[in-house]
Amino acid sequence: MTDDLIGTQEPGGQESIEPMAGGPAMIVGRQPLGLWSDVWRRLRRNKLAVVGLGIIIVFVTVGIAESVSTAAGFNLAPYDPNAVNYELSPEGLGSPPSWSHPFGTDYLGRDIFSRVLVATRISMLVGVIAVAIALAIGLVLGPIAGYYGGAVDSVIMRTADIFFAFPYILFVLLLVTVLGGGFINVFVAIGLLSWAVYARLNRGSVLSVRRMEFVEAARAQGATDLRIIFRHVLPNTMAPVYVAIAMGVGGAISTEAALSFLGIGIQPPDASWGKMISDYLSYMAAGRWWMELFPALALVITVFGFISFGNGLRDATDPKLKE
Amino acid sequence: MLAYIARRLAQLVLVLVGVSLITFIIMFVVPGDPAALLAGKNATPEKVAQIRQNLGLDEPLYVQYGKFMGRLLRGDFGTSYQTGQPVSEMIRENAPNTIQLAVAAVLIELIGIPLGIYSALRQYTFWDTTLTTGALLIWGTPVFVLALLMQYVFGLKLGLLPISGSGGETFLWIIPADLENLEALILPAVTLGIIEVAYISYMQRASMLEVIRADYIRTARAKGVAERRVVLKHGLKNALIPVITIAGIDLGALMGGAILTETVFSRPGIGLMIYQAIGARDMPVVVGGVLFATFFYVLANLVVDLTYAYLDPRIRLEEG
Repeated sequence: MTDDLIGTQEPGGQESIEPMAGGPAMIVGRQPLGLWSDVWRRLRRNKLAVVGLGIIIVFVTVGIAESVSTAAGFNLAPYDPNAVNYELSPEGLGSPPSWSHPFGTDYLGRDIFSRVLVATRISMLVGVIAVAIALAIGLVLGPIAGYYGGAVDSVIMRTADIFFAFPYILFVLLLVTVLGGGFINVFVAIGLLSWAVYARLNRGSVLSVRRMEFVEAARAQGATDLRIIFRHVLPNTMAPVYVAIAMGVGGAISTEAALSFLGIGIQPPDASWGKMISDYLSYMAAGRWWMELFPALALVITVFGFISFGNGLRDATDPKLKE
Repeated sequence: MLAYIARRLAQLVLVLVGVSLITFIIMFVVPGDPAALLAGKNATPEKVAQIRQNLGLDEPLYVQYGKFMGRLLRGDFGTSYQTGQPVSEMIRENAPNTIQLAVAAVLIELIGIPLGIYSALRQYTFWDTTLTTGALLIWGTPVFVLALLMQYVFGLKLGLLPISGSGGETFLWIIPADLENLEALILPAVTLGIIEVAYISYMQRASMLEVIRADYIRTARAKGVAERRVVLKHGLKNALIPVITIAGIDLGALMGGAILTETVFSRPGIGLMIYQAIGARDMPVVVGGVLFATFFYVLANLVVDLTYAYLDPRIRLEEG
């Protein structure tokens, strides 16, 4: 399958490019802007996607504000999320939502609003870092597989198949058990295990553009393979990847919550939505709904935001759905 | 077609070997020592060494893996470190429960197809918006949160259904033969299935929207074919193909979801078995369970791909 790519670069390179010089320059200058403003125009009409984007902006802002305020030495949260106060927890069952504690307090008298707020940062970090790790691996392996083809392609893609076949949550469960809990390990485990999606997407896209004229033109000008892949091919194949990123962040947040719920993710006293849901579980039967409701709501709304935006982005970038 | 099947079977074997190797490696870097764990707190070092030798844990890794694969080919998955019970027997005991759950979830999942078609044909109407919003909300709900909600509403508040366990009699391993078995199945199956309904209906909607904009649909309409026939015959047939593929790939997510569902509902099955074995560092059970789950997933994918290749000849020619 590996055709001799280098051999094609010499004869007639100049000739074939010269007549088109005016054309490509214009297209290159206009198209990126045109494409994304078109995507934005279509995205804006999709109310669910806009709601999703709004949710993402709110939660990311809260996460960043929380980190910055902690670094600056004051608390964004109205109360210390880990401060135990038995006066606020009569009979050890917490107290219902009130003006001073809008989400109520838990069995140790800790303010649930503050805990949910602080946990936002961890969820956002998990989403962003895990996806960044997966993306870094996938964005290197996928294009390499697609560009070189042959044995390289086979090895990389069969490995990806194995990662695909493995029941995902099980794999993460195994890896976190091995590495131990704590949030760095959760990031790493989720990231290491979700690269295959990005690799497969990029490989497919690279395959579809590698024979196009602009790649041929770059090659004719003597660009190296690496430069062609990362400067010319990749930027032209990113739309489905952005969609996968939005979905992936939502998925990673959901997975972290599941791991923490099973007791092997984020370790106490760090607050995490999943951990809170599992901690407060036994208080549901006693009718202490607020302990469970608010962390669960925060989790569901966040994941919904990312998935909703991701889907909207997919529809907006899909040429087949254009009217 | 035969060549295609052969190639896919070879791939299947490769994937299974890869998965077994990765699982094996991961379990081996587990910090806890299973021999020490088994021997208990007060065991002498000699006793631990004895147990280690009995289990073959003192041999080099590749020897252990080689022996393990050799036994595997003979259908022997080893014995549980904890109970001494053969793993194949444990899988046989637990598998029907999980398969029952997965099959029930897939059946529920099918509801998503008509919902998605309805949404697509009534794009941007009130019902489309409602259905699509609902689908995205449920899709965004982590399976364990939905499981807890189900338990709370139908188990605790309404007291309609049992919130844990399984029991009763089955017919042909997985078909509920009495009320007890059926009742225990409903909540977990609905939990797992409804998330897939959301996913499938969304995908079906997207796929249908794509198809009804296609030229051949316009041609059919222009020819004067009745709208009902355009949708059902010309549209649906083409819109179903990607959804079938997605449903097949999704079985992997279903297996993962089954683990969480079984854990929340304390429902015996492969998922709960693996979860408990991971905690106890019971390696043979973990590896056996994971291999079983993977095998099921890969097999389902193969069937889907073959159906797909049969329906669309371009596929089997493409991947030459």
